[in-house]
Amino acid sequence: MAKKNIKIPLLRKASKSFLWASMLLMVLSTIALFFYVRWLLEKEVEEELFSAEARIESALLAGQHPSSLAPIIEINEVDELKTAFTKDTVIFDPSQDEMELFRELSTYKSINSKSYKISVRVLVVETNQILWAIILSYMVIILLVFVFQFYLNKSNNKKIWNPFFHNLEQMKKFSLLSKEPLQLLDSEILEFSELNKEISQLTGKVRDDYENLKQYTEDVSHELQTPLAIIQAKIENIINGQSLTEIQFNQLASIQKDIQRLTQLNKRLALLTKLENHQFTHRASIDITDLIAQIISNFNEISTISLTFEKASNIMANMDPYLAEILCNNIISNAIKHSSHGKPINIESKNMVLSVYNYGATSIANPQQLFTRFYRENKEFKSTGLGLAIVKKICDLYGYDITYAYINGHHCFSIDFGSTTSTRKLSS
Amino acid sequence: MKLLIAEDEISLQQSIVTYLERDGNVCECASNYEEAIYKVSLYDYDVIILDVNLVTGSGLEVLKHLKKEKKKTGVIIISANNSLSDKLEGLDLGADDYITKPFHLAELNSRIKAVLRRGKFGGDENILFNEIRVDTGAKSAYVLDKPLTLTRKEYDLLLFFITNKNRILSKEIIAEHLWGDNSDLADNFDFIYVHINNLRKKLTSEGAKYIKTAYGSGYKFTEE
Repeated sequence: MAKKNIKIPLLRKASKSFLWASMLLMVLSTIALFFYVRWLLEKEVEEELFSAEARIESALLAGQHPSSLAPIIEINEVDELKTAFTKDTVIFDPSQDEMELFRELSTYKSINSKSYKISVRVLVVETNQILWAIILSYMVIILLVFVFQFYLNKSNNKKIWNPFFHNLEQMKKFSLLSKEPLQLLDSEILEFSELNKEISQLTGKVRDDYENLKQYTEDVSHELQTPLAIIQAKIENIINGQSLTEIQFNQLASIQKDIQRLTQLNKRLALLTKLENHQFTHRASIDITDLIAQIISNFNEISTISLTFEKASNIMANMDPYLAEILCNNIISNAIKHSSHGKPINIESKNMVLSVYNYGATSIANPQQLFTRFYRENKEFKSTGLGLAIVKKICDLYGYDITYAYINGHHCFSIDFGSTTSTRKLSS
Repeated sequence: MKLLIAEDEISLQQSIVTYLERDGNVCECASNYEEAIYKVSLYDYDVIILDVNLVTGSGLEVLKHLKKEKKKTGVIIISANNSLSDKLEGLDLGADDYITKPFHLAELNSRIKAVLRRGKFGGDENILFNEIRVDTGAKSAYVLDKPLTLTRKEYDLLLFFITNKNRILSKEIIAEHLWGDNSDLADNFDFIYVHINNLRKKLTSEGAKYIKTAYGSGYKFTEE
């Protein structure tokens, strides 16, 4: 159901239900009032008719003959007596010069041995007018009351909920990276105050846990280095000591290689932690295109894969020189590692965007996971699985957009150095 | 050469001593801060290998002490912390080089030699090995005063070999020396093979056949 997903702000929801309730109340009370007043007025008219008729009757009894006053009073002698009745009738009213609705009471009386038909009438228009006047003034008054109530309620609600909204905004701005505590507004309302307490505790705990985790990563990578150094040193002494068999030597060399992997992993984890801690605050103007050319010449010494560089325009970036080097190095070495069959790698710089293309038979299965640490698309590569995670972290730090696309059988990574959000985060 | 190894991890300290003594160096050890300060005040060393985190104090304090006494000693800092600021602080205080754990002993050895060569310790920029002379100032090499045409990597390789002569060097160590962090890209080490072979050919054509293969896949620079 689509309805489920539509979210209404709290205050609007409260106002809305108030509006509906008051509208219903208004309609129902107006209807009730209408019928009640009409009934009262009809009763009043009837009483009036009967009392006029009684007065005429007593005048006739006293031998007076009140003159007919059509259409209000009509006295006619009739041959036979009928039962009295009341009815609504439309007759011509000469005073108004038009047809009008009257309420009429006709009685038949035998007075002084004569039979009379006495008809008294009252103009209904008048009572109708009274009825509508009452209903209208009622509606106006109740509407005014409701409007007043509505605004009073609204401003009251706003005042009561204000700490809640303020705290909600604070929580939206909550970041694990910032060390500042949440500035929560206290409220005289018990539940809000309890909520604040819980939020403060929860965020405090989350922060502590995060800090601990970071500290742990830092400590582990730090503590690992000394044992690694000892293992490495001992292996070198074994190699240079007593004579070994070729198999023993190869195994020792292979251990050296694994130590190197572990060292790399360690270094990169430490770098990621430092990036998360925002420990890189130095900034300088870096010519990325120069840097790329330099890195390419380095890689040409190690790799037979051909690297071509199309420099349509220079890219200048304002960032930490050390990070700039790691960023460019990682993105190119990633392409070298994953370039199948030694196919060439193309690097382009155009409009502040650096793009690296390498051949790939199929597109990447889980592009959204590419920048996750330890994600390896292909397990056969002995990579640390951190290279791209570092690239992403560096880009995030400076607000550069990094995108992956699979175009014409090539994996393409693009970094937009123009999309920087200037000094965000770094200033904190 | 007289060296002081100030390192609180005894295993590592002894491994360094074992490696360096084979060259005929005299190695003394300090296992904590007080011992380091004591030995530094009493004796003169050519080079001190100084761990930043000595168990009872900071190696950087030892360095400050050295500089205050105006001792002409080369200092190589060892740290478990790969941070740039640590490195800069160490170098600012007057250290000559900085190496991060874990490191190869061959790498440490070649750094020690480089520190000794630098002029301010009265070192010679020329390294001699029989008929081979490497001029580290001009970054060039000669066999019987006839210049060798070497690429930058070949020159680095020759220098690394000579400073670690008579030692067996695996391809892993050589790769890391030449390409640092990027050496993991050279997956099958064919590149090293190419560089070593080229260097070997150039030396052999001048009659200097010193690059030997050891255990099938390692290398050794020796006259044996």
